Amino acid sequence: MSEEDETGMEGQEEEAASTPEDAPEGEGAGTTEGEGPAETTSESSAEPPPESAGEEATVVESEEEVATVVESEDATDPSPDVGLFPETEPIPRPEVSVEGEPGPRQRWIELATSADHKDIGRILIGTAIGSLFLAAILLVLLRLQLAVPENGFLEPVTFDRLLSLYGATAIFFFVLPLFFGLFYYLVPLMIGSRGTALPRLGQVGMWLILLGGVLLYSTILYTPPEAGINPLPPLSELAFTSNNGVDAWIAGVGLATLGYILITVDLLVTIRHLRAPGMAWRRTPVLVWTAAVVSWLFAVIGPIFLAAATMLMIDRRLGGGFFTGGAGGAPLLWQHLSYIFFAGVYALTAISALGVATEVIQTFTGRRSPDRRVIFGSMVAIAVMGTLAWGQNMYTAPIPIGTKYFAMFMAIGLIVPFGLIYNSLIRAVSKADFHMRAPLRYAMGALSFGSIGLLVELSQSTIAVGTQLQQTYDAWAATHFAMIGFGLFGGLAAISYWYPKMTGRMLNEDRARKSFWLVVAGTVIAVVPLFGAGVEGQVTDAFRFAEGEGVSAYNLIATLGTLLLFLGIVLTIGNLIRSRIEEPLAPPDPWLGETLEWLALSPPPPHNFDELPDVRSEVPLTDIREVLTQMDRDRDHEARETEPVA
Amino acid sequence: MATLVVLPRRKPLPLAAAAIGTVAAVLIGADPASALSLNPDAISPGIAKGNTLHTIMFVVIVLGILVVNLAIFRAVRPRHRYVEAQEVETPSRSGRVGILLSLVAVAIFVVATVYTSASRDVPESRASVEGTLEDGSLRITATGQQWLWRFSYPNGAFGYHRLVVPKGVTISLELTSSDVVHGWNVPSLTGKAQAVPGQTHRISFRADEEGTFRGWASVLSGQGYADMESVVEVVSPDEYLTYIRRLKKEIQGAQDIVEGQVEAQARRAMNQ
Repeated sequence: MSEEDETGMEGQEEEAASTPEDAPEGEGAGTTEGEGPAETTSESSAEPPPESAGEEATVVESEEEVATVVESEDATDPSPDVGLFPETEPIPRPEVSVEGEPGPRQRWIELATSADHKDIGRILIGTAIGSLFLAAILLVLLRLQLAVPENGFLEPVTFDRLLSLYGATAIFFFVLPLFFGLFYYLVPLMIGSRGTALPRLGQVGMWLILLGGVLLYSTILYTPPEAGINPLPPLSELAFTSNNGVDAWIAGVGLATLGYILITVDLLVTIRHLRAPGMAWRRTPVLVWTAAVVSWLFAVIGPIFLAAATMLMIDRRLGGGFFTGGAGGAPLLWQHLSYIFFAGVYALTAISALGVATEVIQTFTGRRSPDRRVIFGSMVAIAVMGTLAWGQNMYTAPIPIGTKYFAMFMAIGLIVPFGLIYNSLIRAVSKADFHMRAPLRYAMGALSFGSIGLLVELSQSTIAVGTQLQQTYDAWAATHFAMIGFGLFGGLAAISYWYPKMTGRMLNEDRARKSFWLVVAGTVIAVVPLFGAGVEGQVTDAFRFAEGEGVSAYNLIATLGTLLLFLGIVLTIGNLIRSRIEEPLAPPDPWLGETLEWLALSPPPPHNFDELPDVRSEVPLTDIREVLTQMDRDRDHEARETEPVA
Repeated sequence: MATLVVLPRRKPLPLAAAAIGTVAAVLIGADPASALSLNPDAISPGIAKGNTLHTIMFVVIVLGILVVNLAIFRAVRPRHRYVEAQEVETPSRSGRVGILLSLVAVAIFVVATVYTSASRDVPESRASVEGTLEDGSLRITATGQQWLWRFSYPNGAFGYHRLVVPKGVTISLELTSSDVVHGWNVPSLTGKAQAVPGQTHRISFRADEEGTFRGWASVLSGQGYADMESVVEVVSPDEYLTYIRRLKKEIQGAQDIVEGQVEAQARRAMNQ
């Protein structure tokens, strides 16, 4: 780092510090001083560099020097290339100014046209949080209908419509945008890159996902889809659901799937090509590995589902016969294709949550996991085996018994990779000292609830038991335990861990703790009784249940628990929103993390890093901290030598 | 070496909540013990095997949940740590754990396979009745339609809503559908099986006790789905024969009336 470069950076810092705190609103403002990209981008680094940590803070040498640099900059209007070519004279360029400087564009226009991976990631995460709220409302409505036997709260067709919307919202607009948004936001930061490789592709993907969501929810104005969470043909064929609801379902989730595929491609190319110098695969953070595994998985299962959705659309509107029974079509084909996708999404959620938990646990215990290779290998195994176990959803279908045994073998085999990851994570926590903060609490909640859901699924993955328990509330409860564990808690672990990085503020710890326990209590009360109802034989998707079948008490408790769960989710979302407004500003590295995103400011400027770091080990930030400490020590030493003795 | 000092738990809140929840559940009539047995009143051999496997798996998963979650609770318990020397590297135990888990997985797979194949054995007939095939089983076709079942018996008779089968005879039930996918579901007799249009799904069972057994359809099939019931009435072979003969006679009678009406209509048309 040359002398001029350093001081130049300081000048920028000073400018950034002088802008008001909510400066991101004025992104792109004041671009008159310097025309170069580096100058423009530094404007939006909103927060003043805190004194506690970070490279930038420690290279401040003296106030005077900084002041002089700023002055000289104002006087000479240096070219942006000063850092790279310190010897060249700035070339004078003619500037034409018609009506002063262009004013700042409105924030929503900035956001809508931005191809910055952080903006796209934030929009996706925001979509996921909004969908979480919608899904919670839908779940409460469904459970209210099922509170008492023979209830007349909802019409049967209304129940079917809410159910279809609930499934699509929870899978396509909560779980998937949450984790893909997180990966899209974090991966370039974690690999020390200035952005993604194909930013416009990711932008198109994000807009396709939003368009899909709008399409799906616009059906509320006419006829929502009514063919169930997984609309099995022939019920979803035109002959049996003749209104536009299923078409909107196909278009909505199809567009969203296409969007995720584009984002997946962008992520894979980014991870492959844009890692910082020195970041070999073995030095890549676990979450980036997770993103790579998940992206490969979705790159395989996404097109399968897209093909199936397209075939269903051809059946409905173009006179095709892929899934029509009796006309040379195969209704079971849809089950195979869609369950490959849904089994893959299940595995994807679990892998993502375990990746997040690994990062969180590594940071909070202050130690890198010794089992990183094992964790990586296990994730690949979960992706492959979890998807290949799709047949465990089809034990009741007329398919060859060999297919069912294959699915059972894969599903039971999942014990090994899941067990290995659980073993290393739990051991890492129990052997270490830690402060229990929101991210770690959410991560442990994800592990706990996920384990319950997975183990109950294990029982259902044996053919003799699964034939009985499929399509009962036992299966529903197991899926919800796993998805609330891995999807909700895994996602919240990530959001609360990277909250300071994304928003520049800390998450309120007290409210996070209370809402966590509320969600835990709500889930336990809402879901555990449904295990009993399922074993008693209550089938899912039915809009009512009969009296005197021994399931009334279970359903009533479950409904009360769902209200508690809803309250917990609302408070959690409220905490996420309130903390953004009223919590204290966060330093760049509040948790003493080991991955490169903590080197950037909070929130990171559009170009992420002023200088790309040179990665020399698995723990780049420890290296940087050591260098900085050494520099401090040297400077103190120097100062002591030169100071005159009084 | 590091020293762990475990502090007493300050908040036994989860435990208290669990205790209150259990008491409340028992008070309002939920019976957690019933979860142990899937179908206590199973009367077909295949389902009984499935129940045994369910009981085994129930114990396995409860143990699994306890072990994993107690480990998590133990890991996050509040404590103080006094570090005396430098951090000690904890060795990876993944190799040993992996072997252990593989053994567990193989054991579960073997047990599950044994019980699954036993539950899928076609049971032998213990009684004989007119109309059986060579292997002693009685072939009945069940056709799902929105939102009821139609049953065709070997003598050509057919009936709706209610399947009547003789006790002790192996029934080979052929499921198919005339419109959408339907879920055949009689928990104590057959378990679940899909009726897919254009395909025949054959399941075999033998009822060892007389009585009426019910279950709700298990695949969403449209608006009337919640009312679609699968009902099986098990009777003695003689009663079964009487039933299907009466059914046949009624159908014949109805057909005769219809045919008579058609003929009369045709005659009237000719006369005019």
